[in-house]
Amino acid sequence: MVATPRKSVAFAVAAVGLLCAGTTSAQVACPVKIGGVLPLTGSMAPITKKIAQAAELAIEHINQGGGIKGCPVQFILRDDQGQPTVGVDAAKYLVEVERVAAFTGTISSGITGPIISSVTAPSRVVQITCCSTASAFTLDGRSGGYFFRTIPTSKTQAYATATETARRGFKRTAVIYVNTDFGTDMLRFYRQAVAKLGGDIVVEVPYNDNQPSYRAEVTRALAAKPESLLLIGFPKDAVTIVREWLSLGGPRQVALNNSMRTMDFVNGVGARFVEDFFGMDNAQVAGPHVDAFNRLFEEKYKADTKGPGIHTQYDAVMVLGLAMNIAKDLTGPSIRDAVRQVHAPNGTVVGTGPAEFRKALELIRAGRPIKYHGATGPIEFDANGDVTGPALVWRITNGQIVTDRVISIEEMQALFKRIDG
Amino acid sequence: MTGVVSYLVFFACVVLILGIVTLGLNLQWGFTGLFNAGVAGFYAIGAFTHAILTAAPQPQYLGNFGLPWIVGVVAAMAATAAAAWLVGVLTIRLRGDYLAIASFGIAVSIQLVTLNWEALTGGSQGITRIPKPLAGVFDTPLAFNLWYLALLAAIVGALYVALERIVRSPWGRVLRAIREDEAAAIALGKSARRYRLEAFVLGSTMMGLAGALYASFIGFVSAFDFLPIVTFQVWAMLIVGGSGNNRGALLGTFVVWGIWTASGALVTKLVPPTYAAQGAAVQVILIGLLLVLTLLFRPQGLIGEEAVVSRHAKD
Repeated sequence: MVATPRKSVAFAVAAVGLLCAGTTSAQVACPVKIGGVLPLTGSMAPITKKIAQAAELAIEHINQGGGIKGCPVQFILRDDQGQPTVGVDAAKYLVEVERVAAFTGTISSGITGPIISSVTAPSRVVQITCCSTASAFTLDGRSGGYFFRTIPTSKTQAYATATETARRGFKRTAVIYVNTDFGTDMLRFYRQAVAKLGGDIVVEVPYNDNQPSYRAEVTRALAAKPESLLLIGFPKDAVTIVREWLSLGGPRQVALNNSMRTMDFVNGVGARFVEDFFGMDNAQVAGPHVDAFNRLFEEKYKADTKGPGIHTQYDAVMVLGLAMNIAKDLTGPSIRDAVRQVHAPNGTVVGTGPAEFRKALELIRAGRPIKYHGATGPIEFDANGDVTGPALVWRITNGQIVTDRVISIEEMQALFKRIDG
Repeated sequence: MTGVVSYLVFFACVVLILGIVTLGLNLQWGFTGLFNAGVAGFYAIGAFTHAILTAAPQPQYLGNFGLPWIVGVVAAMAATAAAAWLVGVLTIRLRGDYLAIASFGIAVSIQLVTLNWEALTGGSQGITRIPKPLAGVFDTPLAFNLWYLALLAAIVGALYVALERIVRSPWGRVLRAIREDEAAAIALGKSARRYRLEAFVLGSTMMGLAGALYASFIGFVSAFDFLPIVTFQVWAMLIVGGSGNNRGALLGTFVVWGIWTASGALVTKLVPPTYAAQGAAVQVILIGLLLVLTLLFRPQGLIGEEAVVSRHAKD
């Protein structure tokens, strides 16, 4: 029988398809799908636009750099509308119907949580978030190791604070903290770190923000006869608290958190009263790979990279891209284990952008380890799937805020190992 | 293929859970005319009561007692009933918009309490580790969801039969009498206040039950699950389906939640990824448009109310 032209075309297409399949590793269907859920509409929408663009830029770089296991990557992004049920449904759809091999999202902890517990962890799909910081997810041990985040949790700052207070010989510390997930997380991690690094907490006093006076809280803290103070909160309330603390005769050994690194705080209390107070902050890593990302983003979208979540979202997707190439197949457990090989201790450094991704693929094919330095610096996950970032210590000298020292990411990672064991 | 089935089972579970809430609201609004704008609040009380009682213990929380699933469900209903009774006693004499505003305020307050009472509710961290019933037996996501769907279907079926009987009973006819003309009902010697309170408590208890079922289905709750948008969604479901009709309430839940989710899938199919943000906005417009069109062309809802329910009147 003579094949009709249509049939020969179909045959040719099938043959090409077979050839393509032959060049990729076994059992990988093209294109490889990565799913994402972000609040594209709703109250978070203004900040999400750039975050979504960062994710798409990462997908573009992966594709230009050689894709995943020889396949192009397709990114399917769904909206959670800022609603947990909508976000969970979208994630379930992506995992079950679209069969995405890996997942990134989302911003609000209240949506990331149910997605972990009802979609990604039970279905064993790797999930990396750019933006959810609630410590409960990684600490409750129910994610099965499938959940990661590229944003440092408050742990980084709390541990850095603890090293600094230990170095300065803080004893009998009173902790006054704002009663939010941020404040309670900071306190919890500080407590853990102090137990290992030295020092002791004599009293923990929570406060609610926007009160006219904190005399009751300060009095309660002072009743425990502390010799030092750690204040975790926001500048406006901190001004009131520090004034009351000093006027009631509280000791002048005071540590602060990142929010107080502003002249509003210094001038609010009065510069001469806060001399030698010190605090912590996350230090944005600088370097060629960070600059490369910033430049590529600005070129593509004609917008700057200022704003939350942009760098961490890019890294979340790039880590998936690298891990899926390292993984022996595209099943959840393989990808999960491969995520931890994205930053091998003795690996060759690879950075951001398509050229660096191509370089990484060549290394992976040659069976050599890689060390990803992303848009937020080196990305190494701890046992819980959290990353560390560098921190800096600042202090107030002559009414000015000056940087005391930088705790490098290597020091931070050593610190994490020491405290978490 | 199994993926599609797995997703549809999950979708059906969510529909049935929300369906219980809609049935509860139907008893309050559809039959009694109580404008409860605090649906999310009672839903939250049920969910958190269940979570606090059944979640695995964690040192930083007051609750999390690790009690059996059924204890959590019964307690969730009891707690919601108690809360609804308290709210009802205080507000039940309020009519129409006044009750709406009062109940809305109460729901917002409940949501804020769950957000701030960290030791009990986990605050913005939420409560994790809520056990899923028999998750050890049904250990794949599809098997568990199928089992849960069967459980939900049984519960909804039982509730539906009970509600159908209730609204056809003399008690149910009094509710409708109060809705239509309260003065006339009182003139006939019925205590409108008592009946309204009973309907309010019963409907809210169903919302609490749904909250407990939601918490143990997802395995996680936080204050973000109970924003006022939930109240709006449930209202949309009831109005689209047909207020005053239990089958309408269930159908409306299916249709509205179906539109809500399918439009998202549709938009990602049609819109190129670079326009995902615009596509998402289109989805929201689409949802609104479909709701408006339903109301324009079917103002009584997809299934309207039956005018005659008494079997004596039918004869």
